[in-house]
Amino acid sequence: MTIPLNAYLIVAGLLFAIGFYGVLLRRNTLVIYMCLELMLNATTLALVAFSRFNGTADGNTFVFFIITVAAAEVAVGLAIIVQLFRQRQTVQVENLNALKN
Amino acid sequence: MTPEIKALHDIAVSNYWPALAPEIGLGVVALALLALELLLPKRQLATVIPRVAILGFVAALAWTLRDWSAVWLGHELFGGLVRQTTDSQIMRVFFLVASLLVSFIATIVLPKQKAPRVEFFHVLLVATGALMLLAQSNHFVLLFVALETVTVAFYILVSYFRASPLSLEAGLKYLVMGSLSSALLLFGIVLLYGIAGNPLLAGHTAQSMNFAALGEFLRHNPDEPLALVGAALVLSGIAFKIGAVPFQIWVPDVYQGAPTPVTAFLAVSSKAAGFALLLILVRGPFLPLAQVTLPLLSIFAALSLLFGNLAALPQRNVKRLMGLSGVSHAGFLLVGVVASIARTDAVSWAPAAVYFYLFTYLLGAMAVFGVMAHVAGDADADQDFRHYAGLARKSPLLGAVLACGIGSLAGIPPLAGFIGKLLIFVAAFHARLWILLGVAIVAVVVSIYYYFGWMRAAFYEEAPPSPERAAVVPLHLGVAASLTLVSLALATVLLGVYQGPFGQWIATR
Repeated sequence: MTIPLNAYLIVAGLLFAIGFYGVLLRRNTLVIYMCLELMLNATTLALVAFSRFNGTADGNTFVFFIITVAAAEVAVGLAIIVQLFRQRQTVQVENLNALKN
Repeated sequence: MTPEIKALHDIAVSNYWPALAPEIGLGVVALALLALELLLPKRQLATVIPRVAILGFVAALAWTLRDWSAVWLGHELFGGLVRQTTDSQIMRVFFLVASLLVSFIATIVLPKQKAPRVEFFHVLLVATGALMLLAQSNHFVLLFVALETVTVAFYILVSYFRASPLSLEAGLKYLVMGSLSSALLLFGIVLLYGIAGNPLLAGHTAQSMNFAALGEFLRHNPDEPLALVGAALVLSGIAFKIGAVPFQIWVPDVYQGAPTPVTAFLAVSSKAAGFALLLILVRGPFLPLAQVTLPLLSIFAALSLLFGNLAALPQRNVKRLMGLSGVSHAGFLLVGVVASIARTDAVSWAPAAVYFYLFTYLLGAMAVFGVMAHVAGDADADQDFRHYAGLARKSPLLGAVLACGIGSLAGIPPLAGFIGKLLIFVAAFHARLWILLGVAIVAVVVSIYYYFGWMRAAFYEEAPPSPERAAVVPLHLGVAASLTLVSLALATVLLGVYQGPFGQWIATR
């Protein structure tokens, strides 16, 4: 039995939507960060499915670039979050509101 | 030769490295800075590092100008990843000039905050190289990797004052919103890749991430729903970067918390990169999708013009003001982009108007940020109208430069910003965008109010009797700083009365 392309796309779309709403609704910065990674992984899944369906290798190659970029983003992002936690002792979004009018 | 070998051979032949010499040079200088940090004695670092970085930018600028009309312009290089055009040459020069001025502002601000120099200029050099690559990308892989290099560099730069909770908070906000926009952009790219390579559709292509091949596919299938969703997601991702409404929520906070040179870099280069990409995409592969891109960008433009100006009205923090007025400048530029695709035959010079506006914004904004760097005290995020009270009396030079910069941003004749806005308006008029034109004219009128609130503080208000930060404004600026600021102010005046080669180039498009 082969799994049709649409099944992969629906799963990828769902993962992407879960990540998107997680970023918008969750209050903990680390959870928000995990949701961002979930969105990237959703795109990777769709990319690999398309690549297999279309019979071109571009998509598979692109995945390596995405993983590398995501790793760089995590390295910088966690450094910022850790440094912020040292200064403010919190990573909750509602407490990080020093910048305003 | 088998076909596979021949395909590999063709790609290898198109790898013409001298075309990318300025970008490679910037990368080499960035690495050299790290080596210099190890080799040089500590007390020399503060003076040597900025000079080396500035020399690197000047050398890259000279090299780019040397190859201004090179023979390979318009041809695909590196197997279709890179395609240099006159437009990309203009943007490469733009990014180099902008980074030179950001370096200048950094040499004023970094010593005040006792921040390390090496990492700042290293990241600045890498980001500039990536911005230049972005302007000549012809393939979604290069577009994504270059854009992410820029974005990650900005995460570092925005949170660069790591002892300041405000800078870190701005960095975190930019991190979340920037990653979100990158994910949207990426999902759009994936949808376009998947649909354009679908073997069941007419005109499908094996090179579905190449802009030319993608454009060819979209010409055959302009109504494919997945392609439309993909293009809309890509445009939304770019709208985040340029700070267009409804993707502008990060702008005021990040602009306020970021170090002043980084705010200048964000305001000018990051925004310009978004518009370079927009012009490449909507006039290239997305041209057959004008039924979607046109209304989408028109709505972004109108909302940005209205929101940016109205939100800036009560603002008294100048960094937030620059951010929100930047949103409205993004609106004006979007009007130019819309005009360039609304009637491609009537206003073929509309992209040139957008580039001209970007240059006037570069000059005006950098003059203003240069003054802000001098006026700013110990608290980099707290720069308010009240700190500008009596500025013109304390330092007439800074006052005059500020007047030129703000006047140009507001679009007062005869300064450069006026001509920039005029060209956009004429383009919108020829493209018959009556509603957008009306909104834009109202936006100009509103913007004069808040810009002149700032001017009033600098020229007509007295400094407070016991000025807590009176010592901050130096009566004698450094020679280099004065020269740079004066030439920026002169350039805004000169470009307003005489456009020179720029005007000719626009006229011959």
